[in-house]
Amino acid sequence: MLKYLMNRLFWMVPLLVGISLISFLIMHLAPGDITSTEASFNPKTSEESRQKMRELYNLDKPVILQYGLWLKRMSTLDFGHSFASHQSPVFWQETDKDGNVTKGMIQEALPVTLLINVLSLTLIIAIALPLGVVSALTQNRLPDRSITIFVFIGFAIPSFWLALMLMYWTGVSHTWLPISGLHSLGAEKLSHVDQLVDSLKHLALPILISGLTGLAGISLFVRNGMLDVLHQDYITTARAKGLPEHTVVYKHALRNALLPLITIFGLSIPGLIGGSVIAESIFAIPGMGKLFYDAVLMRDFPVIMGILTIGSALTLIGNLLADLAYAWADPRVRKGVSQ
Amino acid sequence: MQQKPNRLRLALNALLSTLLVITLAGCEQQKPQAALDLNRAYPSESGGTLVDAMSGEPSNLIAMMAGESSSSAIAGNIFNSLLKYDKNLELTGELAQSWEVSADQKTITFNLKPNLKWADDQPLTSDDVLFTWKTVTDDNTHTPYGADYKLVKKAEAPNPSTFIVTYAQPYAPALDSWSGLHILPKHLLAGQDINNTPFSRHPVGSHYYQFDTWKKGESISLKRNPNATQGQAKIDHLVSRIIPDRAAQFLELMADNIDSMSLNSIQYARIFPARPDLTAKIAQYKELGNSYTYLGFNLKRKPFDDVRVRQAINYAIDKQEIIDGVLLGLGLPVASPYKPGTRWSNPKLQPYPYDPQKAIALLKAAGYEDHDHDGILDHDGKPLSFEILTNQNKEREMSAVLVQRRLKEIGIDVKIRVVEWATFISRFIKTGDFNVVLLGWGLGLEPDQFNIWHSSQQAPGQFNFIGYHNAKVDKLLEAGRMELNPDKRMKIYHEFAEILLADSPVVYLYAGYGLPAMHKRVKGIDDPAPPAGIGHNAYEWYIPAPLRRNEMSAE
Amino acid sequence: MRAIFKNPLALAGLIIIGVITFMALFAPFIAPFDPDAINVKSILLAPSTEHWMGTDGLGRDVYSRMLFGARISLLVGVVAVGIATLIGIFLGAIAGFYRGWVDTIIMRLVDVMLSIPTFFLILAVIAFLTPSIWNIMIVIGLTSWMGVTRLVRAEFLSLRNREFVLASQTLGAKDGRLIFRQLLPNSLTPIIVSSVLGIASAVLVESGLSFLGLGVQAPQASWGNILTDGKEYIEFAWWLSLFPGLAILITVMGYNLLGEGLRDALDPRTSNNK
Repeated sequence: MLKYLMNRLFWMVPLLVGISLISFLIMHLAPGDITSTEASFNPKTSEESRQKMRELYNLDKPVILQYGLWLKRMSTLDFGHSFASHQSPVFWQETDKDGNVTKGMIQEALPVTLLINVLSLTLIIAIALPLGVVSALTQNRLPDRSITIFVFIGFAIPSFWLALMLMYWTGVSHTWLPISGLHSLGAEKLSHVDQLVDSLKHLALPILISGLTGLAGISLFVRNGMLDVLHQDYITTARAKGLPEHTVVYKHALRNALLPLITIFGLSIPGLIGGSVIAESIFAIPGMGKLFYDAVLMRDFPVIMGILTIGSALTLIGNLLADLAYAWADPRVRKGVSQ
Repeated sequence: MQQKPNRLRLALNALLSTLLVITLAGCEQQKPQAALDLNRAYPSESGGTLVDAMSGEPSNLIAMMAGESSSSAIAGNIFNSLLKYDKNLELTGELAQSWEVSADQKTITFNLKPNLKWADDQPLTSDDVLFTWKTVTDDNTHTPYGADYKLVKKAEAPNPSTFIVTYAQPYAPALDSWSGLHILPKHLLAGQDINNTPFSRHPVGSHYYQFDTWKKGESISLKRNPNATQGQAKIDHLVSRIIPDRAAQFLELMADNIDSMSLNSIQYARIFPARPDLTAKIAQYKELGNSYTYLGFNLKRKPFDDVRVRQAINYAIDKQEIIDGVLLGLGLPVASPYKPGTRWSNPKLQPYPYDPQKAIALLKAAGYEDHDHDGILDHDGKPLSFEILTNQNKEREMSAVLVQRRLKEIGIDVKIRVVEWATFISRFIKTGDFNVVLLGWGLGLEPDQFNIWHSSQQAPGQFNFIGYHNAKVDKLLEAGRMELNPDKRMKIYHEFAEILLADSPVVYLYAGYGLPAMHKRVKGIDDPAPPAGIGHNAYEWYIPAPLRRNEMSAE
Repeated sequence: MRAIFKNPLALAGLIIIGVITFMALFAPFIAPFDPDAINVKSILLAPSTEHWMGTDGLGRDVYSRMLFGARISLLVGVVAVGIATLIGIFLGAIAGFYRGWVDTIIMRLVDVMLSIPTFFLILAVIAFLTPSIWNIMIVIGLTSWMGVTRLVRAEFLSLRNREFVLASQTLGAKDGRLIFRQLLPNSLTPIIVSSVLGIASAVLVESGLSFLGLGVQAPQASWGNILTDGKEYIEFAWWLSLFPGLAILITVMGYNLLGEGLRDALDPRTSNNK
């Protein structure tokens, strides 16, 4: 086990360097840089000031040299500052000599995205698991068919279309939920409980929209997994032994069907920190998706690289944890590995 | 038959109950739809909050450092300049109560108003103005706007209420440049690195409003400044919510969560008139903007170096159709690169009428005919076909489609390519690798257009990217920069526009209207809007107490 | 094959796709109007007997644009998936057949590509290249081959030790023959299923890119950009949102139903044990 762990950890470093190199090169494929924004196309501005900025950010140097400089900084975990908003650190906050704290861009955007994604994942598990089980147990009969149709619809709806329609229905036709944003105006004056309810109301639609595709995918996956397992010999044996049905379903079938789910979760980790650009843009949520999108359009290289690097690192760690969890959970793998 | 697992039922019940509770809790907080009488007259009073929406978030609240419009929109409520434009677009004093230009036209003396204060009670003097000038001209300051101010040879503040600048040459755009420089407080910024100062996230200014809070990614709030140098504003709080998506903004406007938004033509001309429930609570305004949209030719490439081809294309495009189709009539045709109705716009000039026959005749004279009868004009065996490049802007895309159709009718084959902005600038504009572009210029009120039309401004990165070169225009532009007498300047720029129209290096398409929509609770707005737009007297707007939105409060 | 027709969901999927493909192929003949015909006098008209699905912001007939938009959606889906599948088969086959360091490198490459959130990658690349329909197809293709690679590799790994393969090898069959004649045909099922599902996903991605302004550009009609053009008038000009939204929904559902149906029908495990 330890050897496996060391092997994986060892591979992570070259992988990360590889990912960062590919990302850096793709980024520089793009024509333009931070000085090509719409705001800088103003006849009152001068080309020299843009040239000065390019020199300041080393944008006039060869790409490989720029990558080297970035890599050198990264070795001390210094993600640098945004090109667009010079003082904002890309990752974590900084305190200047007077004690003023400037928060990092990723530091501010990540919690929001993480919250939405985690809640969304919870919702998915809470709904998709029962749906998948019911579907498998009533295979090809009405409940299965209708759940399947419902799941497919959820999978196929263009998310921004659904988002706008729901925003209209719940926010304009009726005033059940707020339309966009994270907090109501003046929310800080409310009691803690009321503030919590206010936040939840703002997050309800984004969570629903983010989770819809995952919901469909996971219910289908659980259904198919359960079906696979239910047809195995040991299930027939268990039934022949006279075990009550719910023991057969939950203790034996479900547990085994869920094992591959762990791998799925590992694979959905990049999605966890990569907030949906579309949902965040529509709902005015300042998360990682919006941060990345704006950075791409403005060619804000440090922010782009920061997000891609952190994202990849978290993904690799997530995959490793998922694999470890699987290995621990599946007694066959666990026993086999330690031999 | 399998039994439905009980645990499943429990889980689903729990979920549904939670949703129900949240929904009910929401229903309770519905705003009372009491009949608000929005149409009667209310006396002016102080108080209330105005909520509007911004698509982008400022990076920095010091306008000279940041480039985006969202930055200057907020900073414009916090800071003062020496001069400003009044409702008729004439220069008048803001921090300065008067100014004199010396006989040799090289020195301007500004006399500041007495007893000016910053929001933090410190006195505002010419020292602050001098400090600001030093900062914007400092080579270490990362600002793109320093060029105008670096032309000042000498700047002095001999006493707290006088500020004197001396230029090497008479510089006509100078006064306008002093209407655009936000004066910064020396006592808070001296010794700080302007590029990295926390002041940019909580600034202190001297105008009607002062900074209150900034919730990153959500909103920026300003509150009334009791020390405001220009008097007291009526509305207590200004909140700008950051809502990137315009569809979401419109939904918020309909749900009465924001008070103002700028509409597009279809919302203004088709949706509102069809929705009495919207027009009952929201008022629509119309103000001519400071920008014009144009079709620009790459004058260094054939066939655009031939004036007959350019004029022909000008005749072939039906500009009124574009205004009617793209703007639903909410725009004006232009014949000079200036805002219609201002003194710089030459009233004698008329845009090229829609005359396809004349276009065909001109092209024939230039050697373009349909020799091979394929429907496309050709010359020397080469068809007259090119690509129109534009950026991702709905109006421009739609205009391009209309232009394409009209040109096709006279036998010119046009393709349209929509390109993302940064790529557009660096791959096509800077390199000069384009044939025709469809873009716009958002100009200020200063008539000098040296940077756009003078032949010396054609280097990559500069603004004469179409490659225009006319010796007479060059001289006029140079003279216009040095002539401070407004009437003489006017003649110079009228002549400039006349030559430009004859040369037709660009086809002027239209100048569009801005279409702000304001909730009727906001009173005191001038309608119809004066030349400066409805915002010129924003400090006089008020929200009567019975109409204010319910503020959140602790129960 | 007959199993497909027994599965009602797969059948439904097949019918849906059939209808849409037909409409897309014959669009120039079916469309009542020229999809690019602008008419500034008929801007934003509601559906009527003349314009079945109303008109858009430039007076163009929405129904005709929807028909031509079907072509775009189909084209994007098929070409993007085609590219992804070709790459996936190639890499997966090599990895599964030769194993060893070739396999390690390819799988690490897959890991790298999976680590970068796909939509981010597509977004970044499209923003940099000009968003033409070809670039979109290529980019979606270049970022979705990982799944196919893994599938093909897994199939090859499990198949290569079967008797019929070993028999061919002893008879002296060359590698290429083995791959193309023996292994690939037996791996077709997961490839087909994955391709069909991939088309569904490509259609959704195109509509998402259109929302961000990076999809198929004007004046070409695509369902994504008709939807996006109408989003600011969602309750006033409901026809600009309803029809493309439904079209995307139904098409994607159709492909998903067919894909899942095929998986159910062709997968020997589930079909044997019913």
